[in-house]
Amino acid sequence: MKTLKLSLATALLAISALASAEEAVLKVSAIPDEAPTELQRKFAPLGQYLEKQLGMKVQFVPVTDYAAVVTALNSDKIDMAWLGGFTFVQASLHGKVVPLVQREEDSRFTSKFIVNAAVGAKSLKDLKGKSFAFGSASSTSGHLMPRYFLQKEGIKPETFFKNVAYSGAHDATVAWVASGKVDAGALNASVWDKLVESGKVDSSKVKLLATSPAFYDYNWTVRGNLDKKLQERISAAFLKLDPKNPQDKAILDLQRASRFIPTKADNYKGIESAAEAAGLLK
Amino acid sequence: MLKPYPRDPARWPRLFTLLLGLLLLAPSFSLTQFNPATLANPDSWHTMAGFVAGFFPLSTQGSFLLDVARETITTLASATAGIALAMLLGAPLAFVTTRALERHVLAAEAASASMLLFKSAVRGVMVILRGIPEIVWALLFVRAAGLGSLPAVLAIGLAYGGMLGKVYAEILESQPRELATALYLQGASRWQCLLYGLWPQALPELVSYSVYRWECAIRASAVMGFVGAGGVGQLLDTSLKMLNGGEVSTLLLVFLLLVGLSEGISLCSRHALERARGGLYLLGGGLLAVVASVLWLLPGWRDSGFDLSAIPRFIHDFFPPDGSMLAELAHGTLETLAMSALGTVLAFVAAAVLAMPAAGRFGSLLKLASRLLLNLLRGVPDLLWASIAVLAVGLGPAAGVLALALHTAGVLGRLFAETLENADHTPELALRQSGVSQLLAFAYGLLPTVFSQWVAYTLYRWENNIRIATVLGIVGAGGLGQQLYLALSLFQQHKAASLIIAMLLLSWLVEQLSRAWRQHMA
Repeated sequence: MKTLKLSLATALLAISALASAEEAVLKVSAIPDEAPTELQRKFAPLGQYLEKQLGMKVQFVPVTDYAAVVTALNSDKIDMAWLGGFTFVQASLHGKVVPLVQREEDSRFTSKFIVNAAVGAKSLKDLKGKSFAFGSASSTSGHLMPRYFLQKEGIKPETFFKNVAYSGAHDATVAWVASGKVDAGALNASVWDKLVESGKVDSSKVKLLATSPAFYDYNWTVRGNLDKKLQERISAAFLKLDPKNPQDKAILDLQRASRFIPTKADNYKGIESAAEAAGLLK
Repeated sequence: MLKPYPRDPARWPRLFTLLLGLLLLAPSFSLTQFNPATLANPDSWHTMAGFVAGFFPLSTQGSFLLDVARETITTLASATAGIALAMLLGAPLAFVTTRALERHVLAAEAASASMLLFKSAVRGVMVILRGIPEIVWALLFVRAAGLGSLPAVLAIGLAYGGMLGKVYAEILESQPRELATALYLQGASRWQCLLYGLWPQALPELVSYSVYRWECAIRASAVMGFVGAGGVGQLLDTSLKMLNGGEVSTLLLVFLLLVGLSEGISLCSRHALERARGGLYLLGGGLLAVVASVLWLLPGWRDSGFDLSAIPRFIHDFFPPDGSMLAELAHGTLETLAMSALGTVLAFVAAAVLAMPAAGRFGSLLKLASRLLLNLLRGVPDLLWASIAVLAVGLGPAAGVLALALHTAGVLGRLFAETLENADHTPELALRQSGVSQLLAFAYGLLPTVFSQWVAYTLYRWENNIRIATVLGIVGAGGLGQQLYLALSLFQQHKAASLIIAMLLLSWLVEQLSRAWRQHMA
């Protein structure tokens, strides 16, 4: 009997140890708006920084599907995610989530319309009857806002263009337009700038056609039932990143952020009404 | 005195069929925007050439190859575990629904009404299971409960379970009944009738069909990654999206090796059945493979956070289906039908042309070359062809037509070549020896003996292609699949429900038509 009790106690201890070991991991993911290898590369130093600041293990969960990130956050499978404006709206409509911080740039984000040079288009109107690629259907700067602004210009993509396709990611859109797989496309301004700066865009093949008005985009969001203290510590860690400190600057540069600032759900009301206007919410 | 042979008595039906065929095909061209001129357009060749040039050199980067190796094993393991699940599901379904064990079949006794009702209900479930293509099942599981290889296993398990249930039941029905009837009249139970009356005769056919399905499951599991369900498809999806040709060609090679390997194993296991105790080895090997597969996949399942409890809520969100999108549905359905019809006809023509050298009619060198080409066409799954075809003819249903034509040409070409080889060559030889030209001797001596079989194969493939055409949209090649993928991405579950119902109806209709047609032929 005694041995039984003892082994039971040991088992309980082991289980609680396992459970607490599980609690000490912060599971983080991101919408796959760029190639998976690029996402991992971008996150690695930030993950190490957060581990040090929070004193807990930070695990990056790679996900290949925008909608799956939303579902995972809503069903508590991950603790924190890098969401776009539209995916944040979707997540907040399907459950309780808290936006913590955004990059300073995210308060005045834009989309770029690009075109294959051979098409010879000078304005959006010249794209009539051409093929057009958005990024992922769930993307804010790659689909929702470009669609919304096209609509404001009196352009309904499904009838105006010959074919509408979804490349799945911003860098894929550039590759598609460059190769001629599609004539034109829309993508996130920040990814466009990065590709141009690093010389990954052949400017003889891809031309910039237009830039959209500004809107609120990306943020770091946590699930609503994550420990409040932990939420505050995560926010603090992000806000503490100082562009004057070379180590912090390296992390910020990879995130393409000048610095992080606090954000709130109300910032994304505009996105929600744009999504309603574009018919992308039920 | 010989009377002159009367004019072809079937000329009116023949003319009618031909006209009907042309009439049906004409709108297909406009519906699918398939314009053969695009293929001749230097621009699209340029795009294609640029992409294909990127295929070389093959990507041999260490970390990439490691990923490929891991995902290849995952693909094999998912297919194996999926088939095991399908057999576990299909066997009881077949036992319940097969007409071979019915009282009124075995002993002319009246069946009870409640039993009949129950059986129809089970058959209905089976229609739903196999009517939804496996990749759509995978997409649904991914969206409902999480990414990873578990959705792939469940998808193969459910879709193939429904299919195995139907085919197992039919195999049992096709066996001679005397033994089972005799046992039944002696007072044997259903189980005993099955185990002693039907099982021993049906076993080889049951095993060989299951092995064939396993082979199909490998091809299916290799493309599951396109919807986020793991395996080599996931890597390929990324490489294709980023137009990374070197990686694509490495993965294509792996694909072809996988298909070749599965065909080899499938052939070996069929041979094993014919040997003494071969069945025992096969059973042992199969069980070992399933256990190894589950062990390989298990850690991934534990980490993925796959959430079964999310499924009921997910299903609940589907109701009620969106009834306001009938026009969209009709358009998607028509597009799907047109894609499959045009693709199949083009495949028929290409297969007929390729089958000649493949049957060894123009020497052994051309035979080898054309066989290789056919194997390549057949080995690459249709979804993969579609994602490559969008480069050649642009996005949209035209790419679907091309993809179906290429893959089906490979499948039909091999079958056509086999029928040519197995056909009776005496009439052709007789014509040749009486001085008729080679072409005419073929047209009047050999073609008539194989043609009806060619048509039968083609119609069977068309049935299959309609199902495939519904999912090609997942890689941007039009049809219902594209709409479904979008609806699920935007959490528009009511819309998704309507689309799935449309897919189910289409698949059910095709199955009924094809069954009616086959009964008519027999």
